[in-house]
Amino acid sequence: MRKQLDELSGKSKELRKIILEMCIRAGTGHVTSSLSCIDLLIALYHGGLLNCDAANPSWPQRDRFIMSKGQGSPALYAVLADLGFFDQRELDRFAQQGGRFGVHLQHDVPGVEITSGSLGHGFGIAAGMALGAKLDRELHLVFAMLGDGECYEGSIWETAMFAAHHRLNNLIVLIDRNYMCVTDFTENLVQLEPFDQKWKAFGWDVVNIDGHSFERIFEALSSVRSRKSIRPLAVIAETVKGRGIASLCYDPLWHAVVPQGADQDAARLCLERWCTHE
Amino acid sequence: MSSLPQRDAFWNRVFDIAKKDRNIMVITADMGAPSLDQFRKDLPAQFVNVGIAEQNAVTIAAGLALSGKKVFTYAIAPFITLRCLEQIRVESAIMGLPITFVGVGAGFGYPDSGPTHHMLEDIAIMRALPNIIIHSISDSVMAAAIGERSCGLKIANYVRLDRQLLPDLYDSATDFSPGLTVLKEGTDRFLVATGSMTTTALAIARRLEDRGLSLGVIDVHTFPLNAELFLRIVQSATKLVSIEEHFLAGGLGSAVCEVLNDNNRGSVQLARIGLSMEQGFTGCYHYGGRDVLRKQYGLDDASLEQRIVRHFA
Repeated sequence: MRKQLDELSGKSKELRKIILEMCIRAGTGHVTSSLSCIDLLIALYHGGLLNCDAANPSWPQRDRFIMSKGQGSPALYAVLADLGFFDQRELDRFAQQGGRFGVHLQHDVPGVEITSGSLGHGFGIAAGMALGAKLDRELHLVFAMLGDGECYEGSIWETAMFAAHHRLNNLIVLIDRNYMCVTDFTENLVQLEPFDQKWKAFGWDVVNIDGHSFERIFEALSSVRSRKSIRPLAVIAETVKGRGIASLCYDPLWHAVVPQGADQDAARLCLERWCTHE
Repeated sequence: MSSLPQRDAFWNRVFDIAKKDRNIMVITADMGAPSLDQFRKDLPAQFVNVGIAEQNAVTIAAGLALSGKKVFTYAIAPFITLRCLEQIRVESAIMGLPITFVGVGAGFGYPDSGPTHHMLEDIAIMRALPNIIIHSISDSVMAAAIGERSCGLKIANYVRLDRQLLPDLYDSATDFSPGLTVLKEGTDRFLVATGSMTTTALAIARRLEDRGLSLGVIDVHTFPLNAELFLRIVQSATKLVSIEEHFLAGGLGSAVCEVLNDNNRGSVQLARIGLSMEQGFTGCYHYGGRDVLRKQYGLDDASLEQRIVRHFA
């Protein structure tokens, strides 16, 4: 287990660098949103929590992973490329002429289930897939990744009610709780707290974890397939937007901005130091 | 008069097919109909009521469609179109999921409910989305046929149903696949109508025939408009009148304009009759039935007849 955790930790550093360079090369992309959720993605994909097959992305028995926060696409693309869902060289052309995909998630990329970018859609789609699986007695799970800022969308709560009512215990939502939105911190904008109680009140099982700790992520999810609860599961993962690059953290400015000039060097240096010393 | 409302004709046909195909599912946003009760009762696994949450109805439908289901979503027309427009855009226009969006209450179909329930912009707005077919239903026979067609469509479609009982115009053998139908033959002068206005246009054309003015009647029941067929039908036409219970911006008349303009037939004199943008919704707060509302917008039979006669004079 320790060995695996170390490997995942190494992957976390490696893919962070890839994400930063993808976005710098393109001059666009949501670096910080990607860095807050990348460890959750690595745990799912590299850590084996998610059943999938890079050689057969549409394998019918695969678990579905729905990236509802489509602006985190660089993180998902980096993970999928690393696992061989498509040629890694595609990452070099991210959001550039001749490239296969852009800033927001695209359904026709191998391993990607939906087009996303407009928030509040993917969660409902995931619930529909979970219902479909129940109706067809399929055993696969459906995971959805939401941003906490996405939870301002009313449609999220329409789906939350629906999923609990229909006892979609095959639906697991991972909420990237980085406390930041586009222009401000969530608790300054419109308070989301007490966030976990809201999900509980909507009929969900809820666990709060450190979304950058592979140990905590595994604690929350490793027995998810043998869960006895009839409720869907919300994993509220406390994260840091921009995690790994201190110069980009805790400042909403960096939501959709890629570092330029001296900021680029600072970002690279921060990441290198974090990778070396963390 | 038809014995069956369009919605029941539609759902009865879908139900008959769904009995043999468990992948057909209906997601309703708390809209009922006698014909839907049989789904609830006999096919409970194929019927989901999401409550008054139309946007959720569409995203749930999208997830089911991705799971291999053929999904119908159902609500009052403005709520399944305008309220969910962006869900429809992403899930069907962009991702291409073949969901059938069923809206009841085209035009003034809920005449006493006020403008929130009137559906006067849906053709324009849904027509602006690529990858989606619009079926503007003019009678119950067509409603049933389109119910059947929807079960097999590999592309998304929007079905706009009238809520009121209207006469049957078609026989059950009609092939609706060409997208428009000539209900009364014509040569150089035609009325072009859609939805409930098709009945109105046909009645007016028959009355005017008795007065010596011969007009053909074309029912446009599918958008995008079948330009090739339309141009063939109106190849000798010099004057046309389009009639719709819909705002003039972007509706049937606009679609006809586009086809004429884009095919060097701009010389055809087209009068577009519908709800004026200037008048807006001010005429909608009148009660007492559809005819009362139509009169507010100059769409009652007498006004229509006058405007038509003037155009063809």
